Amino acid sequence: MDFTLNITYYVYIAAIVAYIVREVWRAKTLRWIAFGVFTGGFVLNTILVITRWFEANHAPMSDKYESFVFFAFTIAGVYLIMELVTIFIARVHESRLGIVGALQSLLAVWMIHSALNTDSTIKELPPALQSNWLVVHVINYFVSYSALSISFTAAIIYLIYRAIYRGRAQEIVMSGSDSQLRKDVTFDKLAYISVTIGFPFLTIGLITGSIWAKGAWGTYWGWDPKETWSLISWLVYLAYLHLPMILPKTKIKKTLAPIILSIVLLIAFPVVLFTFMGMHKLPTASDSDHIYAE
Amino acid sequence: MTTVANSQNKKVKNDSSTWQFLCSVKLAVIIIIILAVACILGTLILQMRPPEDYVNRYGEGLAKFFSAVQLTDIFHSYWFSFLLVLLCVNLGCCTVKRWRNTVLQIGFLVTHISIIMILIGCVIDMMLGEKGGVNVYEGKSVDYYLNRADYRKIPLDFKVYCDDFIIERHPPNYKLLTFVKNKELEKFIPPKVGNKIKIPGSNYAVTVKDFYPDAEYRAEPINTSKEPNNPGIYVQMLESNHVTAEGWLLAKDRNWYNDPKRDLKIEYLWADNDDAYEKLAKAAGEIAKPTLDVVIEGKNISRSAPVEVGKSISIDGTEYVVEIKQLALDYAERDAPLNEQSSDNPAVRVEINGPQGKETRWTFSKYPDYWDKAHQAKYKDVKLTCYVPDNFSQTANSLRIVQNKDGKQTLSYLSKGKLVSITDWEVEKRYDIEDTGLQMRILKYFPSHSIKKEVVESTGSHEGHNHGPGEHIGTPAIFVEIEGPRGTVADWMLANNPPKWYPDKNFALLYEQAGMAIKDYKSILRVVEDGKTVMTKIIEVNDPLKYKGYVFYQSSYDPEGERYTGLQVTRNPGLIVVYTGFILLCIGVVFIFYVKPFLRRKLKKGQKVEEYYSEDEIAAEHIE
Ligand code: HEM
Repeated sequence: MDFTLNITYYVYIAAIVAYIVREVWRAKTLRWIAFGVFTGGFVLNTILVITRWFEANHAPMSDKYESFVFFAFTIAGVYLIMELVTIFIARVHESRLGIVGALQSLLAVWMIHSALNTDSTIKELPPALQSNWLVVHVINYFVSYSALSISFTAAIIYLIYRAIYRGRAQEIVMSGSDSQLRKDVTFDKLAYISVTIGFPFLTIGLITGSIWAKGAWGTYWGWDPKETWSLISWLVYLAYLHLPMILPKTKIKKTLAPIILSIVLLIAFPVVLFTFMGMHKLPTASDSDHIYAE
Repeated sequence: MTTVANSQNKKVKNDSSTWQFLCSVKLAVIIIIILAVACILGTLILQMRPPEDYVNRYGEGLAKFFSAVQLTDIFHSYWFSFLLVLLCVNLGCCTVKRWRNTVLQIGFLVTHISIIMILIGCVIDMMLGEKGGVNVYEGKSVDYYLNRADYRKIPLDFKVYCDDFIIERHPPNYKLLTFVKNKELEKFIPPKVGNKIKIPGSNYAVTVKDFYPDAEYRAEPINTSKEPNNPGIYVQMLESNHVTAEGWLLAKDRNWYNDPKRDLKIEYLWADNDDAYEKLAKAAGEIAKPTLDVVIEGKNISRSAPVEVGKSISIDGTEYVVEIKQLALDYAERDAPLNEQSSDNPAVRVEINGPQGKETRWTFSKYPDYWDKAHQAKYKDVKLTCYVPDNFSQTANSLRIVQNKDGKQTLSYLSKGKLVSITDWEVEKRYDIEDTGLQMRILKYFPSHSIKKEVVESTGSHEGHNHGPGEHIGTPAIFVEIEGPRGTVADWMLANNPPKWYPDKNFALLYEQAGMAIKDYKSILRVVEDGKTVMTKIIEVNDPLKYKGYVFYQSSYDPEGERYTGLQVTRNPGLIVVYTGFILLCIGVVFIFYVKPFLRRKLKKGQKVEEYYSEDEIAAEHIE
């Protein structure tokens, strides 16, 4: 177990390097190599999840260690699916997605690193966690978080490009010329797309969490810190989704709008991470029933 | 609210700037942001605490400010409720304004309406719902529960019985903790047989090499030299080829064994010289008798008398009469017949009769002042001590296995203090013991033994103490190898024993039980209405009982005796609305973000984008 975890860690680190190399020398083979390395890490990560599932005899997302490994798994999975979509459905072979890939593998490395430093002994599930709603709830959340993490990395890259190129149209991820895309995809648009992919999962995660709480504690909403912060994350993305409708009506220049939206994303993802990992830092945490990830 | 038919009306509405604002996305975003900030405050500031908590934590001024603007209970404050109402109004207005009968609008309508439904459902529950809890003792019933907010008793028009309450526990879990002392580094590693695990930040490595699910320490004598410094023999007693008893007799330690059934004591005695040998092997000798000494403090009076049960000793010069009531060789087994007790903790029970009545005391031969310290004595000036010789026994017959340095080794049988027979013995040979029908065999002789403690796998299916029959829970053991700066050491570790230190005293391992986690708790509940049982159900966490709109959740239990079950009782008349809202919200978001983009592509063919979308939508969804 520890051994596979270590290997996974190094393969993910190799994926960072591979994606950076691919970004610098943009050759088609390099794209496949980077994709292959990240996929290798993902496969190992999948083995980790599955063996843990069998060993622990419960869905492997019930404590800190398990959720770190599972989060790394969904981060890699969601990103790889996205890359496959760009290759086979959008038919884009030439893209700057490599930077996103590098950052996503970095995130996966971070998660596995955290897992390496966490007690990995298998703990028995307390009665409240023995629910299928928990499984649905957590899977939705991690898939959502993974998609939202892409919007975060895309927003960072967008802002950096904007700072470097000052408005010249250099921040294109994928170009429409030889693909099915009718128009270029820029990093801010990629960020938006990722949010639209992640947001439904976030919503379903929130709702299934509430249904689970009803079954276990008898209350579907109790303003528990964890509950409240998942609502806050949801509200921030909701604001992001409604913002574009008002920005054109304000005095803000049209070119500034994507910057503002990217900044919102820059705030939003740390909120998500805080909801996931930071709850014990809250003064109200001691009142909480289900800060289980600590 | 508006009827599109009346275009005049519509125009007025559209022109009104309040209406415009109420429908606007601007208001929506403002509300969403304020709600988010309020939620953040609600987790940063302690909620619903007594006022003094706030003063202590935030100071007088801030505390006042907090309670003035209702920051101490944000989620139930007027302004928060107002925000939610405003949110509903905003959603309602924009939905009405935007209403268009196209497929693509479905998502937008459904999500917005679902949020309104969820909020309305919550309000219904807050106004009409009920929430509380009640503890039901096993075998008892309740026809009420206590309201959560004010502990009012709220009657139910039926009875709920708790027929049984069950706690299921997981089998115990064991963990292996490693500790590097100079780095203060603690880390858990899996206590499973497997590969070498390097302890990060140190140059130690641990490998678990073997595992016994149930192990125990066995103390096994091993021989260390030929000099008879610490002799021991392994003796077997047989009756018609059946071993009835076997074990080690150690000359300088536990050197005897009692067979109460045959009134026989077997002793292993070592003689350093011939004189001593003669005495031990042949002389029946006077076995010293237990004695009781009575000292009257301050009067210089003392009396000594043999311990004979029933005998009274009157102390001259005082009014005391001391009666000997009982002799025990082992106080812990004092109720057993004397010849079945091992002489571990001899004691004598006496009754002192004096001017102030009777006083009963035990005196212990090994702990002379124990009783006086632990009890309030009536007659403080009476001091008692007793003496019980180590080899005192009540047995009539004794078998002495005697050895000396010169190699003499004999077996003497004594009955009622008289030597009956004496024979030489050899290892491995069987000897009949005079008219007892028993045989004896000495299997091993170690002139100089030492005890080796060894971990062995338990075989016998002995039942433990703290669990039911048939579910014996063993003590697991692991064989660990530690590599470190002083080379490799390896040893067995039995769970819940003291930590094992590496020779450099800088690294330790601790193998211990991590507790028996609760697997589940369940109550068998029975609902009785008008004297008739209408429903029974085993409830557990995540599986409540529902009856007449009330839901009974398993929420806690009596932590001490597990005698009662703690139920949470709720009635949520708005739940159906909330859940419908939940389902619609899920459908809505999935529609907007997953279904609509594909539908749009299909519908778009041959139609102008502008005919279909508003400017907002185009802006919001990056449609070109
Ligand atoms: C899961 C939650 C939500 C989703 C998915 C969602 C989605 C949408 C979409 C897709 C639109 C554009 C509709 C169109 O132009 O066809 C929209 C507009 C709007 N939404 Fe939401 N919304 C959500 C929650 C909210 C909430 C909570 C509010 C209120 C505070 C709100 C207020 C508005 C307003 C005011 C508009 C503008 C309508 C107009 O322009 O007339 N939405 N929303």
